Amino acid sequence: MNPSEAPATVPPPRKSRRLPGWAVGVLGVAGAVVLLSTTSYLTGVPQLTSTGTIQTAVRLALPILLAGLGGLWAERAGVVNIGLEGMMIMGTWGAAWAGYQWGPWAALVAAAVFGALGGLLHAIATVTFGVNHIVSGVAINLLGAGLTKYLSTLVFFPLSHNPRESPAVPKFDTYSAPGLSEWLGDLEAQQRVGLSDVAGILRGLVTGVSPLTMLAIALVVGSYLVLWRTRFGLRLRSCGENPVAAESLGVNVYRHKYAAVIASGALAGIGGAALVLNPGQPGYLEGQTNGRGFIGLAAMIFGNWRPGGLLGGAALFGYADGLQLRSGGKTFLALVYGAVLLLAVIVVWQLVRRRWFAAAGGIVAAVALYAVYYSVDEVPSELTTYAPHLVTLIVLAVASQRLRMPAADGVVYRRG
Amino acid sequence: MRRRMRGIAVAAIALTSVLSMAACAKDNGGSSSGSANNNASGGCKLADKPPVAGAGTSSSSAGEKVDGSALKVGLAYDIGGRGDASFNDSAAAGLDKAKADFGVAEVKELTAAPNEAEDAKQTRLRQLASEGFNPIIGVGFAYAESLKVVAPEFPNVKFAIVDGAVDGAANVTPLVFAEEEGSFLAGVIAAYQSKSCHVGFVGGVKIPLIQKFDAGFEQGAKAAAPEIKIEKKYLTPAGDFTGFQEPTKGQEAAKGQIEAGADVLYHAAGASGKGVFSAAKSANVKAIGVDSDQYHQTTVADSKDVIVSSMLKRVDVAVYDFVKAVAKNDLANFPKVFDLKVDGVGYSTSGDKIDDNLKQVLDGYKSQIIEGKIKVTDKPSS
Repeated sequence: MNPSEAPATVPPPRKSRRLPGWAVGVLGVAGAVVLLSTTSYLTGVPQLTSTGTIQTAVRLALPILLAGLGGLWAERAGVVNIGLEGMMIMGTWGAAWAGYQWGPWAALVAAAVFGALGGLLHAIATVTFGVNHIVSGVAINLLGAGLTKYLSTLVFFPLSHNPRESPAVPKFDTYSAPGLSEWLGDLEAQQRVGLSDVAGILRGLVTGVSPLTMLAIALVVGSYLVLWRTRFGLRLRSCGENPVAAESLGVNVYRHKYAAVIASGALAGIGGAALVLNPGQPGYLEGQTNGRGFIGLAAMIFGNWRPGGLLGGAALFGYADGLQLRSGGKTFLALVYGAVLLLAVIVVWQLVRRRWFAAAGGIVAAVALYAVYYSVDEVPSELTTYAPHLVTLIVLAVASQRLRMPAADGVVYRRG
Repeated sequence: MRRRMRGIAVAAIALTSVLSMAACAKDNGGSSSGSANNNASGGCKLADKPPVAGAGTSSSSAGEKVDGSALKVGLAYDIGGRGDASFNDSAAAGLDKAKADFGVAEVKELTAAPNEAEDAKQTRLRQLASEGFNPIIGVGFAYAESLKVVAPEFPNVKFAIVDGAVDGAANVTPLVFAEEEGSFLAGVIAAYQSKSCHVGFVGGVKIPLIQKFDAGFEQGAKAAAPEIKIEKKYLTPAGDFTGFQEPTKGQEAAKGQIEAGADVLYHAAGASGKGVFSAAKSANVKAIGVDSDQYHQTTVADSKDVIVSSMLKRVDVAVYDFVKAVAKNDLANFPKVFDLKVDGVGYSTSGDKIDDNLKQVLDGYKSQIIEGKIKVTDKPSS
C-alpha cells in the first residue's frame, strides 16, 4: 500500500480545471499589479504603489498571515481553531519575555513555544476529551488574555513599572537588496506609467526586509510543501477530510491532529512575536493583538483553506489597512476607482461567458461605486477602517459556493 | 531516484535562499524613507512674534497650611491604574502629594478592568462611598455614566471626575482641562522646530476629547506660521477605542505623514504614540509628546532624543487642588477648567530642545491666551 499515491480526497465535481494553482496565483498577482498601476495612473495618486505603502502593508500583513497559517494547519486536520487570538497573546508575552533578555531570535523561539503550549491545551481539550472546538477556543482566548495579564504583572512590572507593558525588546536588523533597491528607487522616482508602479511595489518588497518577513514567506511555502507534498501532510489532511477512513487505513488520527494543532499554536505564537518585534512598538503591550487572530482566520477562509489564497487574503488586509493609515481617505478614494475598473473587467468577462444576470449585477455595482467616487472627495474614515472586512464579506458572499473547507472540519472525532 | 532528485532540489533551493540572504545588505539606521531631502527651505516664514510676556502671575498661593487629616480619599482609576505611565499615574502622583502635604487620614485606590460592565464601575464607587470615603475621584470619562447614578445616592459625598462632567449632579466636580490651549503651544513649538514648514498630528480615536488637541495644535501652528502645512490622521473612528493602544498603527500613520513631508509630529494617541516616536526616530525627525513629560518615560527611552517637548495635562495638579479645596471646604472657588492660567496644561522642556528665543515666544502666546486676546477653539476646522 502506498498512501502517498492515492488522493484521499475527491474534489467536488467541477468543469475541467484549466489552470494549475500556481498559474492562478501568478495571474492574480499580475492582475492586481496592473489594476493598481492603472488606477494610480488614471487618478494621479502615486501612493497606491509607493514603496512606503507596500512596506507598511507587509508589516501589517505579517501577524495576520502567520495567524492565518496557524488556522490553516489546525483546520486542515479538522480542528477549528478559534483560539488563535489567545495563542497569539501568549506568543506576544513569550516574545517579550525572552526578547528583552536574549534578543529577537530567542523571542521568536519563545513565542513559538508559548503559542504551542496554547495549541497543546487546545489539542488536549478537543482531540483527547472531545470538547466542542469553539468552546475550547473561546476558553483559550480568555485564558491567554488572563494568563499574560497575570504574568506581565508578575514579571514585567518590576522592570517597566507598568503592569501592562514589557521593557523594550531589541528588534531585528532589516536588510535590503543592494543595488536593486537603489535602481528601483530611481525608476520609481521617474514616475513612468506602469513601470514606476511596478518598481515601487518591488522596491517595497526588497527594501528594509526583516528576517521575520523572510521567515514568514518561508513558512507559507514550507506549509504548502509539508501539507501537500509529503506523506505526513497527506495523512494530516486526510484527518480533516475523513478521519474514519484515515483511521481505517492505519493513520494515527489523534497523533496527526495533535501535531497539527500544536504547529498551529506555534505559528500563531510567531504571529504574536511579529507584533512585539515590529519596529513600531517597544515590546509587549496588553491588548496589542487586537483581534488579529480572528482576522487571520478570516484571511484563511478568504483564501479557501489554501496557503496561496491565505497569502492573498493577508496581503489584502495589510494593504487596505496600510493605505488608510498612511494616506487616508483621499487615497482610498482612488481604490474605489480601482474597484470600478475591476468590476468593468468582470462585467466584460461575464458578458463573454453569456451570464447576463451576473453582468447586470456587475454594471449596477460599478455605476454605484462610480457615483460614490464622483460625488465625494474623501472616503470617511469610518469606512476606510473596515474596508478589508467589507471586502472579505463580499468575497465570502460571492464566492462561498466555491469555497471548500475540509469536510470533517470542526467535527469531534472519537477513535472507533 | 525521484526521491533523490527531490532532495537535490530542496538542497538547491535552500542554498540559493541562503546565498540570496547573505547577499542582502544590512540597513544601518533604517533611514529608508526620503524625509531628509525636503528640508531645503530651512524653516517656515514665521508670523510676528507675540509681545513679550510680563512677569508671570502665579495663581497658586504657596506655603499655605492645609489640614486634611479628617479626609478619607477614594480614587477609582480607569483601566491600567497606578503604573500606566499616563494619566492614571498622574492622578496617583497628585494623590500622593496631597497625602504627604495635607496628612490625609486614609487613601483607597481601586482600578477598573478592561471591558468591564458599567455595573462594576458603579459598584466600585458605591463601595468607596459606603466605606466612608469622601472625597471620591473617578479618573477618566468612563466614570461619567456611573457617577450619574451613584452621586445622587450619596448627596453628602463630594465626587470629582477627571476628563468629564455629570449634568445635574451638584456634588460632582468636573476636573476638565483646556487641552486645546496646551496643544496651541505645542503647535507653536512644532512650527518653530519644523524645517520643511510641514507638521503632522496623529490622534488615537476620533472623539471630541482628542479633537480638542487637534484643534489647538492646528490653530497654534497657523498662528506661528500662517503658511504651514498640517497632516492629520486619527487611527480609529469613534467607538473603536483600540486606537489608543496600537503602536504599530501609530508608527505607520506617522511614517505616512513623514513621507508626505512633515518633520515635526504631535500625537494624542495614548500608547499608540510610542509608534509615532519610533517612526520619528527612524526618519530622524522631531516629535512632541502628550499628557505627561514623555521624555522621561522608560518605555520610550530608546527614542527620547526626538521628543522636543510634551504637552502637559496636569491631572496631578487637578487632583491635588481638588483634595485641597475639599480640605479647606472651598469648592466654590475651584477652577471650572484647568487651563494655562492655573497651570492645568503646559509644556515640558526636558531635553533642552527649546531655546530661550522660543521660550520667550511661547510665554508671549501663553500670556495672550490667559488674557483672552487669543481664543483657542476646541473644534478642528476640518
